[in-house]
Amino acid sequence: MRAKSFLFILACFLFSGTVYAEEAAFVEFTSYHRDTDVGRVGLDSEVWKNVPAMRHPLQRQFLVLPKPSEVGVKEVFVQSVHDGKYIAFRLTWKDSTENDTLKITNFSDAAALEFPVRKDPLPKYFMGEMQKPVHILYWKAWRSRDQEKGFQSVKTAYPNMTSDLYTFDYSEKGRGTEKTQEEKEIFIPGRAAKNPLSFPHKEIVEELSAEGPGTLTTKNIENTSGAAQWKDGEWTVLFVRPLTVDDAGSVQFKTGETIPMAIAVWEGGHLEVGSRKAVSPAWAEIRLE
Amino acid sequence: MRKVYNWQIGRNASYIFPENRPKKQWAIIFDLNKCISCQTCSLACKTTWTSGKGQEYMFWNNVESKPYGGYPVGWDLGILSKLGPQAWKGNKYSGKTLFEAADKDEKILYHLPEDADWSYPNLGEDEVSGMVNQGDWIATYPHRIWMFYLPRTCAHCTYPACLAACPRKAIYKREEDGIVLIDQSRCRGYRECVRACPYKKSMFNVETRVSEKCIGCYPKVEKGEMPQCVTNCIGKIRIHGFVSTPDKARKDNPMDYLIHYRKIALPYYPQFGLEPNLYYIPPIHVAPSFLEQMFGPQVEKAMGSYINARNDHELQALLVLIGSTEKILHSFKVDDEYAYGYDEAGKEVVKAPITEPKIVRDYHDGKLNAYRQNTP
Repeated sequence: MRAKSFLFILACFLFSGTVYAEEAAFVEFTSYHRDTDVGRVGLDSEVWKNVPAMRHPLQRQFLVLPKPSEVGVKEVFVQSVHDGKYIAFRLTWKDSTENDTLKITNFSDAAALEFPVRKDPLPKYFMGEMQKPVHILYWKAWRSRDQEKGFQSVKTAYPNMTSDLYTFDYSEKGRGTEKTQEEKEIFIPGRAAKNPLSFPHKEIVEELSAEGPGTLTTKNIENTSGAAQWKDGEWTVLFVRPLTVDDAGSVQFKTGETIPMAIAVWEGGHLEVGSRKAVSPAWAEIRLE
Repeated sequence: MRKVYNWQIGRNASYIFPENRPKKQWAIIFDLNKCISCQTCSLACKTTWTSGKGQEYMFWNNVESKPYGGYPVGWDLGILSKLGPQAWKGNKYSGKTLFEAADKDEKILYHLPEDADWSYPNLGEDEVSGMVNQGDWIATYPHRIWMFYLPRTCAHCTYPACLAACPRKAIYKREEDGIVLIDQSRCRGYRECVRACPYKKSMFNVETRVSEKCIGCYPKVEKGEMPQCVTNCIGKIRIHGFVSTPDKARKDNPMDYLIHYRKIALPYYPQFGLEPNLYYIPPIHVAPSFLEQMFGPQVEKAMGSYINARNDHELQALLVLIGSTEKILHSFKVDDEYAYGYDEAGKEVVKAPITEPKIVRDYHDGKLNAYRQNTP
């Protein structure tokens, strides 16, 4: 109901002829072609200075329970460039708190880009649907901190916590039966179950697929690199990926083509996690110049 | 929301999924009159299941002191203050359950503890309900000033909040025994279960970044044995078994007998609407007003039955069966002298004397020509 009324209001805006240029951009972004090695572009590379930042409004996720009553981030600015081989997205948004530290009740700042794996038929923009998967590039501040300062663990979360002995984890060799790392990790359930969240990763961007709410699944690939920085109350996050990758379940980009895209942002300081998030109101589109 | 029947509150109540009861329902009964908070249960659980990294302060089983103790700190006050005062009409709950009191954007009304709340597994230990005055002595039941120990595990609820709250269906309830488990490979650490469980028995592991909870010692239960926290209880205050719904209750099932026939073991915070499967024999020295908010309107009757147990042969027999065996009892029998317990196949697994044989010796020992003293 809310979605419908939003679209109605949106339609009124679009057809009224009084639309501001930056509002219209939420429907279509441009990934600008630049003669630079986009595969090596950084957070503060020169290239970003001459690329327009397109404002993209976000709203609270309103389709599945639980829904946030209000979200911490209501707009994100999007820049994108490509060089025919790589495509880069640079997202910036205001967030007064940097939430990148792992603790029991800490929630991570995060952002995600979502694309349909196939444009036709187009999946529902919210997490895709059965047989119509979406491909999600998901950055989490926890993972950025893992990369910068080492994989966060109970030791970093609670440095003053003490434990006499972990099972089979003897401080000196020969004090007990020697066990392999895998055998020791039987006592660390997430790792024993091979949950991808329980292990360090090369990239700060996790790649996932989904066919509807609740079906999010980590893809066993890491084709997207990234960088992130929180400074003066603002996050800047970079996603860089080759235009095409060797994976049937991944989005493929092509110069001159337009691809639907949606964005989600989580404000960890606002206890946002999972479906408690700020999302695009509908599919936007990105055209590769 | 669906309507499901919740016998503990005597009415239909809201839940996310339709009613779907397991073939058997895991349950524990605790005699709170006997718990001394030795924490042997907590340690038995800890050494068996939560000795790994990230589980240091995780207690799937804990024992806290009531009224002020709690792990995590204030778990009960946190949710009770959000729910606000609610009422019973006789044995039917006329207030709102946590699902019924949920905000329109939420599945359930919840309390999210703060980080430090998980750091004090036994804060408030032995704190009594009020000031002790000089010259106070204990004259009657209930005591004017009181405290009691509350051992808790996951209640493997019939309508689990954790299961309902998980957006990924990473939590499931086993059809064979009603045990509720978190799939460690499917969980993404959103902690919706940590928020939703009013008893705060879903816990987040910072080492693995996913949530964990009591597994009901399912490997033991599958072999017909009671969980570690039950079999290691040195005070013999616990018995584990399978509880039926009231309409299918069997009088010879020890759990059904104590819960349904004698109504002496009561569910804790039934008003939350989860149909939890931890049942407590209320401590008779505690103010009934406190116990009523915790165990519902049948508290005083249960306390009366317990006080009268010495004149109640069958009840006494059941109380001696508690803690007498490691095997899950599916039925029992009582004769003049003994209580007998049987496993699922009907085989006798325990025979316990209802009254220990008593021998009275003369004050004077003629053989040694010595007077026997009463000192140990």
